[in-house]
Amino acid sequence: MGDEIESSLLVIVIDTNPSQRIVREGSQILTQCLDSVIAFANSHLMMKCSNKLAIIACHNHASKFLYPPSSDDEIGEDGDVRNAQQIDGQYEVFTHVERTVRRNIQRLIAFGDQELPDIHENRITGAVNSLGGDSLLAGALAMALCYIHRIEKDIPPSTKVNSRILVVTASGDSASQYMNYMNVFFTAQKRNIVIDVCSLDQEPGLLQQGCDITGGLYLRIPQIQGLLQYLLWVFLSDPPIRKKLVLPPPVKVDYRAACFCHRELIDIGYVCSVCLSIFCKFSPICTTCHTVFKTPAPLPLKVKKKRIKLS
Amino acid sequence: MADDEDGKEYRWETGYEKTWEAIKEDDGGLLEASVAEEVAAQRAKQRRLLAQRQHELWGGVRLGMMRHLYVIVDFSDAMADQDLKPTRYLCTMKLLEHFIEEFFDQNPISQMGIIITRNKRAEKICELSGNPRKHIKAREISGHVVQQLAKQAWNGGGEPSLQNALELAHSFLKLLPPHASREVLVLMGSLTTCDPGDINTTIESLRKVGIRSSVIGLAAEVHVCKRLARVTGGDFSVALDDTHFRELLLQQVLPPPAATTTSSGVAPPTTVDASLVKMGFPQHHVSGHLDAKDDSEDTIAARNSSGGYFCPQCCSKYCELPVECRACGLALVSAPHLARSYHHLFPVAPFTELPFSKDLGAVSCHACLYHFKNTDKMCYRCETCHQIFCLECDLFIHDVMHVCPGCSSNQRTYGIAGSGSGEIGTSTPSSFGPLGASLASVNYFGGWCSFIYLI
Repeated sequence: MGDEIESSLLVIVIDTNPSQRIVREGSQILTQCLDSVIAFANSHLMMKCSNKLAIIACHNHASKFLYPPSSDDEIGEDGDVRNAQQIDGQYEVFTHVERTVRRNIQRLIAFGDQELPDIHENRITGAVNSLGGDSLLAGALAMALCYIHRIEKDIPPSTKVNSRILVVTASGDSASQYMNYMNVFFTAQKRNIVIDVCSLDQEPGLLQQGCDITGGLYLRIPQIQGLLQYLLWVFLSDPPIRKKLVLPPPVKVDYRAACFCHRELIDIGYVCSVCLSIFCKFSPICTTCHTVFKTPAPLPLKVKKKRIKLS
Repeated sequence: MADDEDGKEYRWETGYEKTWEAIKEDDGGLLEASVAEEVAAQRAKQRRLLAQRQHELWGGVRLGMMRHLYVIVDFSDAMADQDLKPTRYLCTMKLLEHFIEEFFDQNPISQMGIIITRNKRAEKICELSGNPRKHIKAREISGHVVQQLAKQAWNGGGEPSLQNALELAHSFLKLLPPHASREVLVLMGSLTTCDPGDINTTIESLRKVGIRSSVIGLAAEVHVCKRLARVTGGDFSVALDDTHFRELLLQQVLPPPAATTTSSGVAPPTTVDASLVKMGFPQHHVSGHLDAKDDSEDTIAARNSSGGYFCPQCCSKYCELPVECRACGLALVSAPHLARSYHHLFPVAPFTELPFSKDLGAVSCHACLYHFKNTDKMCYRCETCHQIFCLECDLFIHDVMHVCPGCSSNQRTYGIAGSGSGEIGTSTPSSFGPLGASLASVNYFGGWCSFIYLI
């Protein structure tokens, strides 16, 4: 017990998508959020010297690691912690985190502007791509999980890493990412990785489900000015310590399904045994996978006695 | 003999393998480099197997998603042997626990029961049951099952009876509705079986009902077991050691194809029929002092609380899903339970293996920032989003996560991540099922997700 070094790996996924409502209304919001997140990240590093950190930005065209610096970069004057010089007596790592994050986000946004016309074009040409500007948080979460997987694999045997992910976002959800989200949540659950969500603006139902599945905290902050306070009070503690704190109560998550044919939320439905799509009425052929169902003479009867009780 | 058809040599007929020659010292007299190579080769093999399975999936195989599995465990004297450490019996118990956990994780709406055989008899230890615990609680059931098995104190198991055990499983499985995929998995330690009649008739009756029987032998290949597996379309294998045994068990976790033809040509006459299954999606009502999380922790407390899931048909209350309503027999599930199985239907397209070179435009893995070193010969590229990944991430993405981080964070490809648009998808336009022609599945996929999405 005493010999085991425990550290905690925090991966922050920050949504920098310019099409978020609050970012569109005031562009300084993003800077403010970034300041808070950097301060929060440094607080996490300060909790214990063995703590690890990664920050991923989810922009509208791509997700990129802001920290640690990727090795694609030319390792410049401040590319390495060892090169970072102490400024005003600040701990070198903090300076390093701040510089790397700021430089990478600048690069990301500048790069995004070049690509942006392309996306706008898509939006105009195809109505299919009406979700063009959605934040693809599922992808960023998938990257976070891959990163955690590698860190957990690389650590020396006598150490233990507790990993968690914090999502800071102001966007709602896009239903088209349902599958990606679910796969990510189930993977996190399997690996005992907690996903916390701090929502700045809307109520993302899918992310709420993710918090519920992985046992993380969901908080929608009422005031953006107080972001840092909320982050520090609610999300800084490790999951084992959280039991001892008074934290916001879990939100009620609705897991009901909507049928494929009429988009209505249903209580009782029919599920195709091949592709598991959900229908509200019995139909002889599955519209999604084109499987023809066996239709024995009295239909409803056959469906009703679908399972036989054993015992 | 019919066995000779498969043309596979027995191990003792093959040439002598000099396994130690693979390990060589490098210039410094160290073994590390060659060991690392060996490890890399192992991983590559693992990857190939995975890719092969995925390739099969793209071929339009339908899966039996609603599995009903009976595990038949040999409890005879032969299980006291010590060739698997510490004994076959203990080793099997340990691995079985892991297997049950994985099974319910991967097949959330499936059911499993356990039958043991000893003293020429077969007993059912556990009923077919779904996952009575929410989320990760599969561990608890497996613990429970193993406890029950352990309760059957080890009292000199006598001889097993394969026929009795199969008959018992058959009597339960034949009653299931036609859409259910019926399976038997036999873990056989003994080389003999003491049967009351002709086992061939039992095998024939299993085949007629479409029960897929797989056998994992712990000792050696037995003709009857092999025949059983071959006739009913299952797998037969013999465990070499405990790690191999574990691998074989975990192979059974993946849902089998509900295929209508088998490679051996002996097609089971009745396979899984497609049908629509009536299911209830109850809402969770929190009105008591306990919240949803506490329910699963403490069932007694939940029973007394006023919150819970109410069957939409008869209003019986349950504290956990999935469950079959005791009053009206309706299967109650929540949408994420169904979603948990979707990755079998929409696998990530296999990545292309490329020799690593600097001109690929990336020096580190897209997903984990792993910096490629000189020792890394291969890297892997997703053909949909053209990102480069390392081997570790490739395995993780295909084996565990089922989402390509590159595709899912790209505006153009995120909707098709999982349903892929690689060449494999387009090469099978004739395939039916959810894995059909890529274009159709893309449209279907996008639309369908928005339907299933809740509030």
